[in-house]
Amino acid sequence: MNSQDLRYGALHKKRKWTVVSMFGMALAILFAVICIAPFIYMMLMSFTQSTTAMFRLNEIHFQDLSNYQYVFHNNGFFRSLLNSILVTGCSCFFNCVIASMAAYGFEKKEFPGKEKLYQLYLATMMIPGQVTMIPIFLIMKSMHLLNTYFALIVLILNAFGVILIRQFMKGVPDDLLEAAQVDGCPEFQIYLKVVLPLIRPVLVSLVIFTFVTSWNDFMWPLISTSKSSMYTLTVALSLLKTQYATNYGLLMAGSAVSFVFPFVLYIFLQKQFVEGIALSGIKG
Amino acid sequence: MTRKKRQAVQGFLYILPSFVLLAFFAVVPIFMTGYFSLTDYNMMKAPSFVGLQNYAKVFRDSYMKAAAMNTLIYTVVTVPVQTICALGFAAFFAVKLQNHAGGFLRSVMFIPVIASAITAATIWRIIFATDGGVLNSILGVFGAPKVNWLGGTSTALISICIVAIWKNIGYFMVIYYAGIMAIPKELYEAATIDGATIMQQFSMITLPLLKPITYLVVTLGIIWSFQVFDLSYQMTGGGPGKATVTLVMGIYNTAFKQHKMGYACSIAILLLLLVLVVNFIENLFFREKRGQK
Repeated sequence: MNSQDLRYGALHKKRKWTVVSMFGMALAILFAVICIAPFIYMMLMSFTQSTTAMFRLNEIHFQDLSNYQYVFHNNGFFRSLLNSILVTGCSCFFNCVIASMAAYGFEKKEFPGKEKLYQLYLATMMIPGQVTMIPIFLIMKSMHLLNTYFALIVLILNAFGVILIRQFMKGVPDDLLEAAQVDGCPEFQIYLKVVLPLIRPVLVSLVIFTFVTSWNDFMWPLISTSKSSMYTLTVALSLLKTQYATNYGLLMAGSAVSFVFPFVLYIFLQKQFVEGIALSGIKG
Repeated sequence: MTRKKRQAVQGFLYILPSFVLLAFFAVVPIFMTGYFSLTDYNMMKAPSFVGLQNYAKVFRDSYMKAAAMNTLIYTVVTVPVQTICALGFAAFFAVKLQNHAGGFLRSVMFIPVIASAITAATIWRIIFATDGGVLNSILGVFGAPKVNWLGGTSTALISICIVAIWKNIGYFMVIYYAGIMAIPKELYEAATIDGATIMQQFSMITLPLLKPITYLVVTLGIIWSFQVFDLSYQMTGGGPGKATVTLVMGIYNTAFKQHKMGYACSIAILLLLLVLVVNFIENLFFREKRGQK
């Protein structure tokens, strides 16, 4: 028996499937179907020219990409897609760099007031983004930073990454860093060449978490962008709904475009995805 | 420079970039929100100090009353349902389905989590359509009459709750599942030897040991509920009437549609207080638990 088999449940493996467990199985399958069905419906509908929500098999034409062509060309989805990719990519990169540097400073360096400062970081995690959004909007407005990538990226960065990486960095042995120092390795090289490779798993989690947060962010892009050339996908999709409330095929094509990137990533990086997102709940 | 001093400077430099960001985009704004909440400010002229008038106004404002009420109903509906379902599925997978089939079903249940609320709302808005919508068509098979899900004052909020629950179960299920898997197997072995049934084991071992996770799941669920905006913005826009207006939508509309920045800040501060109270209660429970150990 390997350790997996010894876990909870293994003891009951030999037991028969009771009525209760059959019922549980049925519920689990039913709910799984309910989880995936809307997305299948979305894909199928995006290939129809339907103006009723009614779903007719004979209206589906997979060779007909006109909905996608229409959202890309007439509704600026292509630009929004590029914006989303750029903003999300930069958010992930800067979040990793800034958060890992701070975590390294907090965990492996000593300076007066360190833990007090860390408490401040923890405290900011409790503030909902919507509470600070109005003054941030006013600051950005007065500095003419609305409708910039900077505004879209900078708000994604927060204390969560620092806290997440610091916890992980407790496992990086001090001896190793000291040995590198004794060998005459310059300080920043230690961070770059010794610390970063060691914390790679947590960086992957942080990238995925940041990716999903940034890609799916809506309220801040809605507030901070007013030029269509700066819209992210979520904002573009919400406007598409306003303009074409009953053009269901078109709306589904827009939804599909916004969904496909996280979904494909999820297919390939399932384990890291679940870990990365579940981690956000264990923050602080 | 002594070694100690050099370390302090280095540490400070490493932390500096994140500190600047945090100071500018969390610490300073929170004080600004607090200050603006005591002023009348419409962006056209400088804020004028009005004391606590904004706060007094919030409690008389029928729009904000509806928003608070809707948010409360939303919380009371979604949090228990998603918590119980998530725990139920997690326990089922842990007991009966620790194999590829279970792994597959868990992965599928996680898909709604990765979709944005806007995407989910766009799809579900069409599923909820009165004429020809998938939901009404399915219910029609069983002879149920057509329901105007998103257009009816009594059903609109519940429809949004359904989508939220659908989207959240997978997330909390994963957290619960990890929690159950972390429980030492010896406890179950001993219980099995003592002749405890699965149900007894669940209520005597699993449930008590999952308490910290349940606090987390409930707290997180409540805080998310207080912040709901995207779903009702995209599905109903707050309508019909005020039926699905939420607290955050109240802040958004007040600040960015009516440009009453001061008033919106006072609502934001009240939202912050609500979140802090929930966090405080959770900490209280956690401390009590640690005390017992």
